[in-house]
Amino acid sequence: MKRPLLPAGLSAADAAPVLARWLLGGLFIYMGCRKALHPDLFHELLREYHMVQSPLALNTIAIAVPWVEVFCGLLLLAGIAVRGTALLLAGMLAVFTAVVFHRALGVQAAQAIPFCAVKFDCGCGGGPEFICAKLPENIGMFLLAVCLLAGRGRALCALYTWPSRPGPPGPGRRISALSRTSLDKQ
Amino acid sequence: MLEAIMVGAAGLAFAFLANFLSPRGLNPARNYFPGDGKVSNVAPAAVVPSRASGKTNVPASAPSPAALLKERLEKNGLHLLERAEVEKLFHDPRLQWNALLFIDARDEDEYQAGHIPGAFEFYAYYPQKFLENVLTPCQLAEQIVVYCTGGDCDDSESAALFLRDTAGVPGEKLFIYGGGMTGWEAAKLPVEIGPRGSGNLRNPAP
Repeated sequence: MKRPLLPAGLSAADAAPVLARWLLGGLFIYMGCRKALHPDLFHELLREYHMVQSPLALNTIAIAVPWVEVFCGLLLLAGIAVRGTALLLAGMLAVFTAVVFHRALGVQAAQAIPFCAVKFDCGCGGGPEFICAKLPENIGMFLLAVCLLAGRGRALCALYTWPSRPGPPGPGRRISALSRTSLDKQ
Repeated sequence: MLEAIMVGAAGLAFAFLANFLSPRGLNPARNYFPGDGKVSNVAPAAVVPSRASGKTNVPASAPSPAALLKERLEKNGLHLLERAEVEKLFHDPRLQWNALLFIDARDEDEYQAGHIPGAFEFYAYYPQKFLENVLTPCQLAEQIVVYCTGGDCDDSESAALFLRDTAGVPGEKLFIYGGGMTGWEAAKLPVEIGPRGSGNLRNPAP
C-alpha cells in the first residue's frame, strides 16, 4: 500500500510554506552555529564594519547575533511564535543586508573593481562570498520571512502564536486537533 | 509586534546563557582590541584609486601601513621589529634558555599548522587559557617577541598589551614582529608544526 506523501489534513498548498519555514529555520540554525562556534572570528569580522565604537556594544552584538539566529531558527523549525520570529528575522535581515551593501560599496571604491567582483567575508556564516551572490541570498531569505509574516506556514506548528491565543481556524489548528485526537486515543 | 519583542528578549536571554556556558564564549566587559584602531583593509578616502585614471591617488606625504603600525605601537608603548631583526633574534643563543621568547598570538588551529620554532602559544582572544604556561617564562625572559599573522592582524598587539597591562609583564621587554607568520614563511625560515617542541620542522635551518 502506498503511503501518502503529506500528513493527513495537509494539502500541497499548505506544505510549501511549511517547507519554506523549515528552510529558513534550518538556514538560520546553520549560519548561527557557524558564528557561535567561532565567536572570536565573528567578533573580528564585526569589528571591520566600524559600526560601534564601544567595546561593550561590539561584544554584545557579537554574543547576541549568533545565538539569537540559532534560537529563531529553532522556533521556526518547531513552529513556535512564527510571525513574531519572522518579523524579528526580517528586521535583522534588512539591517544586515544594508550594512553588507554599504561595506561592499566601500570595498568596491577602495579596490576600484566592478561591484560584482567584490568578495569578502561579511560575517554572515558562509565564509567569503561575492556580493552579487550574497545580496540575492539575503533578499530571498527576507522574502521567506515576509511570507511567514503574512500568515503562511501555519501547518505543523507546535505553538503558532505565543503567548497562545485563539485565532482563525487554519491548517495548523487542524493538525493540532488531529494530533490531540491521536494522543487521546493512546 | 509584541510577539517579536518577546522572541527577541527570550533570544537575548538564550544568547547570554549560551555564551556563558560555551567554552569559547566572549567576555562582554572586556576590550578585545586595546590598541588604538587597526590598519583597515579598506583604504581611507584619501587613497581610494581614481576610477577614471586607474591610478591610486596617494598623497606624496601619506605614511605607509608599516609606518602607521609603528606609530600606533609606539603610542601604546610597544616596539616594532623588522623581519631581519627577528631573524637575528631567532639565532640568538638566549632562545635556548628562554631568556628570549617568541609568543604566537594566533588561534590554536593556525598555531598547530605552523609557528616559529619554540614559540609559546598564546591566543589573544582567550588569554586566560594560556596564561599559566606563559606567565612564568615571560617574567623570567629578558626579551619577548610577539607575533600574529601579519598584515592587518593586531592579535600580537592585543596579546602584548594583555601581558603588560593585565599580567604585569614589563613593557620594555615586549616587541612586536609586524610581518608575522606570513612574512616569516615568505622568507622560507624554519616553521615548527604541531605543539611546541614537536621537532617537526618545515624549512629546517641548514
